[in-house]
Amino acid sequence: MSFVVAKGLTRNYDLSEPLIVRALTMRPKRILTAVDNVNFSIEKGTTYALVGESGSGKSTIAKMAVGLLKPSAGTLIMDGKNLNDPALARNEQLALRRRIQMVFQSPYASLNPRWRVGDIIAEPIKAFGLIDGTKAQFMRVSELLEQVGLASSDANKYPHEFSGGQRQRISIARALSSQPEVIVCDEPTSALDVSVQAQVLNLLKALQKEYALTYLFITHDLAVVSTMANKIGVLNKGKLVEEQSPTGLFSRPQQDYTKMLLNSAPSINFG
Amino acid sequence: MSENLLQIKNISVTFKTRHGVLKAIDDLSLNVKKGEILGLVGESGAGKSMTGAAVLGLIDPPGRLSSGQIWYKGQRIDQAPETIRGHEISMIFQDPLVSLNPLRRIGDQLVETILTHMPITKAEAVDRARKGLEEVGIDPERINAYPHTFSGGMRQRVVIALALAPEPALIIADEPTTALDVSVQAQILDLLKQLCRERGTSIILVTHDMGVIAETTDRVGVLYAGRLAEIGETRDVLTNPKHPYTKGLVASTPRIDASSFDKTLYQISGSMPKLDAMPNGCAFHPRCEFALDKCRIDRPSIIADRAACWLLDGEETLL
Ligand SMILES: Nc1ncnc2c1ncn2[C@@H]1O[C@H](COP(=O)(O)OP(=O)(O)O)[C@@H](O)[C@H]1O
Ligand code: SF4
Ligand SMILES: [Mg+2]
Repeated sequence: MSFVVAKGLTRNYDLSEPLIVRALTMRPKRILTAVDNVNFSIEKGTTYALVGESGSGKSTIAKMAVGLLKPSAGTLIMDGKNLNDPALARNEQLALRRRIQMVFQSPYASLNPRWRVGDIIAEPIKAFGLIDGTKAQFMRVSELLEQVGLASSDANKYPHEFSGGQRQRISIARALSSQPEVIVCDEPTSALDVSVQAQVLNLLKALQKEYALTYLFITHDLAVVSTMANKIGVLNKGKLVEEQSPTGLFSRPQQDYTKMLLNSAPSINFG
Repeated sequence: MSENLLQIKNISVTFKTRHGVLKAIDDLSLNVKKGEILGLVGESGAGKSMTGAAVLGLIDPPGRLSSGQIWYKGQRIDQAPETIRGHEISMIFQDPLVSLNPLRRIGDQLVETILTHMPITKAEAVDRARKGLEEVGIDPERINAYPHTFSGGMRQRVVIALALAPEPALIIADEPTTALDVSVQAQILDLLKQLCRERGTSIILVTHDMGVIAETTDRVGVLYAGRLAEIGETRDVLTNPKHPYTKGLVASTPRIDASSFDKTLYQISGSMPKLDAMPNGCAFHPRCEFALDKCRIDRPSIIADRAACWLLDGEETLL
């Protein structure tokens, strides 16, 4: 079995008006199926990219993967364990959560502005009880900062003292701090400029090689995943409409929707 | 196409702060020709939007245009904001809701804009508003709809109709498609290109997306740390960049290409300097792999009408 498996993953949002309004107006319930029976699997140490336009359900899948949202139906399985098994004890759940971390799109919104960088990065270490003792925690934070290309002295600074790209490095260090096996990246470079984007993408790739990390990489930009996706899944209105290797997808897209995405992506190639 | 509609001559924009005077734009010059789309590209904070704001006289205090001149149709406009700007120059922002009042029907907003710019009757203005909507691909029957009933892309079309209503000769579009999906983005960019061709309108298109630059603009100016690093015909600049920063930008742009897999992207190390820590000489020198001793001391101006880089010095004839 693959390392990460999404099985019939589904998420509904209830967009209905309040019951009392519905009773008075006789209007039916309105349910939006944001993610509709999505299946995919990811091999250990590889990158699976989910590509789609806004509202296609990408972020909803990301949130379900890291436990921020519950699926309405279906489940996610990691390393043979059902993440959504209601029978899981609290400590078993926690143990699984440690193994999947997330890097968010906005390095501005996802870092608490009032915390020092060192505390932000140490938070998962403390929450999961990974390392005891302030000194040892501090050493680990220094090591993580250096791994993502920052200085250990940066631990004392606040997020606003860093540029967008550096903040995204901090987010990555934080995600790494619980020693996860899977990282969900939701548009991690969309807010960054190309020159900085390249730095962050290269860093993610180097870390993947070093730690055999498995990535679920979410993006609206096909070019961004061209260097790192082993497989690309195309999401349209909550449904996975096509799945291929980048080579296959770029040269022989099967679905009209995929062709449209490829054709409308602005390209720097003059042809 | 060779006639200059707009000339920006050696402008600087400064901010007085507690830490001294900061220069957000530093001695920048460029021209916009009649009927062309000029792209401005660079990372956030490079001064793209500030350049647009300077042209429109919209720099918020404590910032101010501290030196230089801006000429429009042979008239100096940096001293006399109200007369020309607004009537002849329109602005399109990334967020359509900056330009649209959510509480008013789109038709009313269009008619009002038209009436402030043209001596015509209300009925004629309504007629024009309907034509304007049609032109940007919106059903004129929706003239009485409110902004929130449109999708993001449709709303941006309404904004374009509003921007076009006074029949401006120049439109400054600041990241007009950044918030939109690629399919919608492609439609909006096509629309802008078509308007440019049909009406001879000039556009300054501000974006950080090299793909958008490649597909939409005739010429491109690359900004770095408030200075113009390179300028030229778009194809020329992107296929044969002269400034090391432009080279880096082009090389680090990921491409939809089956052979990209597992390759490391080219990266420019470091980051753009902050305004209060500008290096001497060439602003790019701390990140430049070609930097010469001279680069650390003397600031290069644009050489051979192309790039602000000492590597081009003495090579004017080669270009
Ligand atoms: N909390 C929510 N309540 C209701 N609808 C939501 C909520 N979050 C997302 N949606 C809807 O679900 C769909 C998928 O959203 P999302 O997963 O955010 O897409 P993406 O990340 O691909 O842009 C969209 O139509 C969105 O409006
Ligand atoms: S002037 Fe010098 S430092 Fe600046 S870009 Fe050219 S070579 Fe590099
Ligand atoms: Mg999203």
